[in-house]
Amino acid sequence: MSVPLVDILSLSGALFALGIFGVLTRRNFILILISVEVITNAAILNFIAFSFYSPGPAAGGITGQSIAVILVGLAATEVAVGLAIVLALNRLRGTLNVAEAIQLKF
Amino acid sequence: MNAETFTFIVLALGAVLSGALALLSREIVHTVIFIGGLFADLGAIYFVLSSPFLGLLQLAVYAGAVTILLMFAVMVIKRRIFARESTLGIQVPTLALAVIVGAVLVNVAMDVPNYGPAPSCPAADPYCVGALAQNLFLLNGAWLVLLGFIMLSALVGAVHLAREWRTPSVRRIRED
Amino acid sequence: MQVPVAAYLPEALALAAALLTFLMDAAGVRQRVVVGSFSVVLYVLALISVLGDLSVAPFSIFATVPKGLIDTGAVGPIQFSSFGLLWQAIFLSASLLVAFASLSEGEGEREVPIFYGLLALATLGTLLVGLSADLIFLLLSVEVTGISTYVLVAYARKDARALEASMKFYLIGALSTAISFFGASLIYGAYGSTALSHLRDLPPSATVGGTQMALVGLGLLTVGLGFKVTAVPFHMWAVDVYDGAPDHVSAYLAAGSKKMGLLAVLVVFAASVSIFREGSAWALYVAFSGLAVVTMTVGNVLALQQRTMKRMLAYSSISQAGYMLIGLAVATPASLAGTTIQAVAHVLMKGGAFLFVAAMASIGVGNRIDDYRGLGHTHPATTASFAILLLSLAGIPLTLGFVGKFYIFASAVQAQGLFIFLAIAGLLNSAVSVFYYARVLRIMYMVEPQTSSQGRWTPAVAHLADPGAGSTPPSAGSSKGANLGRFRAEIQALGLARWSAIVACAALTIILGIYPTPLIDLANNAAAHFLATGP
Repeated sequence: MSVPLVDILSLSGALFALGIFGVLTRRNFILILISVEVITNAAILNFIAFSFYSPGPAAGGITGQSIAVILVGLAATEVAVGLAIVLALNRLRGTLNVAEAIQLKF
Repeated sequence: MNAETFTFIVLALGAVLSGALALLSREIVHTVIFIGGLFADLGAIYFVLSSPFLGLLQLAVYAGAVTILLMFAVMVIKRRIFARESTLGIQVPTLALAVIVGAVLVNVAMDVPNYGPAPSCPAADPYCVGALAQNLFLLNGAWLVLLGFIMLSALVGAVHLAREWRTPSVRRIRED
Repeated sequence: MQVPVAAYLPEALALAAALLTFLMDAAGVRQRVVVGSFSVVLYVLALISVLGDLSVAPFSIFATVPKGLIDTGAVGPIQFSSFGLLWQAIFLSASLLVAFASLSEGEGEREVPIFYGLLALATLGTLLVGLSADLIFLLLSVEVTGISTYVLVAYARKDARALEASMKFYLIGALSTAISFFGASLIYGAYGSTALSHLRDLPPSATVGGTQMALVGLGLLTVGLGFKVTAVPFHMWAVDVYDGAPDHVSAYLAAGSKKMGLLAVLVVFAASVSIFREGSAWALYVAFSGLAVVTMTVGNVLALQQRTMKRMLAYSSISQAGYMLIGLAVATPASLAGTTIQAVAHVLMKGGAFLFVAAMASIGVGNRIDDYRGLGHTHPATTASFAILLLSLAGIPLTLGFVGKFYIFASAVQAQGLFIFLAIAGLLNSAVSVFYYARVLRIMYMVEPQTSSQGRWTPAVAHLADPGAGSTPPSAGSSKGANLGRFRAEIQALGLARWSAIVACAALTIILGIYPTPLIDLANNAAAHFLATGP
């Protein structure tokens, strides 16, 4: 493992920004969900990177990869629930456009 | 620059590119394909970062299961919804916000010292899979228990929401 | 020290409530009375156990956590602190309130066990937040409640508005989880560990750089958890979700799941605030003070303009979160105690108020504030309770809401310096909030009920006119017998469980408002230990 930490963190930063951009601009449920998954992947990448470059005691180390494993499971679970909600909604209505589904009132 | 770093940079550029294409393409099926590419690309990156177990997990769960789940949802729903993104114009303020967030994070990355690499794995366990298992199942077993609760809740919820209705009053609403 | 298995009794009871309820569903036992009472009994047992651990007088024989474990630091990812236990009691009261009042809901075909089971899982998540001493453990516990509540909002399945609310809630929740975990990854990078106790010291890498990473990580964590607390500008989802969700689920979201977000923020930041107190503290103080002021002001101003009851209550709930965030910005034992008291008050006030809305909706009263006209004459007991809860929300003396607010503002004044401005902003906001609460009171009491010719009102009035033996109109019931009959009719119309839950909320608000000493002692003790020994 000899990739510099800066490179990995820059990639995860870029993915995070991409995800935020997607969440803020897209209006389709599935596209927003995908943007959120991109953010989660940036977090997973960070945890893996810090499992190799760790400032703390030895306890740091491999823990990062454990968290990454947990996060992969968590994200898959979340997607499943989201799609169940969407399928239930789809049965009632024909739209998946978030802006159309609920009018934001301020 | 050594071979590993070069491979990483090529894969990283590929990841950002497929991520951007996924969010910019008009056809939602293309989006799902590109996002599958992004997940697979990240899996390859984990292999380069010498965490093959996570690479496999990423390929199986993200590039495999999640992508197929998304594709399935698109296929089931597509007939009735806007499959296309209705507003595709790139709003300048949002783009600026995203660029600022990215710049801050890259700046943070620059600020971080290149900590010495963690102690390497023993020869008998070259990729630390044994150490990972110990850490995951013994030291941090509580996290797995919590993940179990989350999955229980998700399972019950998803089954309940996806279950068909039988009462006649509902059909009337559906026909509206 | 080894943790005995019995120490996890409250969590085990919540899990048992969930699993056994799902089993009942599988076995075909779906009567609301059976399933609901089972949950209620288990919550009561768990509450007794938690109160026992807190050594509250009559219950202390039921303590299951050894005294040596409380407030003595973390055991792995878990910690038993009196602060966490006190908040567990708050969460359990919220769940108990909602589960009990829901006994009066109608029979759904298959939804009843799912509702109670998911409510129990959500409760389990909130209880685990009270135990956590590890950042990842904390975020995963938040997620247990998160996933359960997404589905809980949509559990009726046939209500398109609820499903839309659930979809929105889900998207915001998933986003907040992703951002929180990204922040956690930066913190893990800066500290090399996820134990919350490490956040009390500067990161080990501070000598060579990396504080910036810790700060950005904490900032992203604020954003992620800010969504759960409904701090402005992360509040947009809350009103639509509270509005669209089934009424008793809204009660749980406001009373239970929001408190959980608040505790998560407290646990993460009350620890780290102390390290930033030296040196570059101002950035964090400014951030939290700004968040508190903006949250309460925006919440109040928008509540003023609402025409429907649920949206008004949702916005006022946002402004209440602002008052509680003052406690975090000041971060002294007194201010945290104030936040805790206010949280207790908030469970009673918001839980009771949303349950009142649910009760009124069940007898056909509309959703607009104007639809509540004259309820004081037809439903005296519950309307009086609702009025008390509203007065408590406004912070009128002799109510628990006043005690909590007073404690928070006094702690801000005590802390001196610029914190005085927080107290002033809070007082001004309280004054503004009186307007919209008073408007509701006026409509309920000063305005005569609509005549029965106007559709929506008919069922309630007809029902109430019955026991008055036909001859006595409800508004002229001056004799004792007619009054008693009116109460009986009210209970009959609303359901005994819901009626008594609403009245109990108001009664507790008054009792604890007049005699708050035990609660204040508990909160002070817990907050002092919390700041001294760890999250």
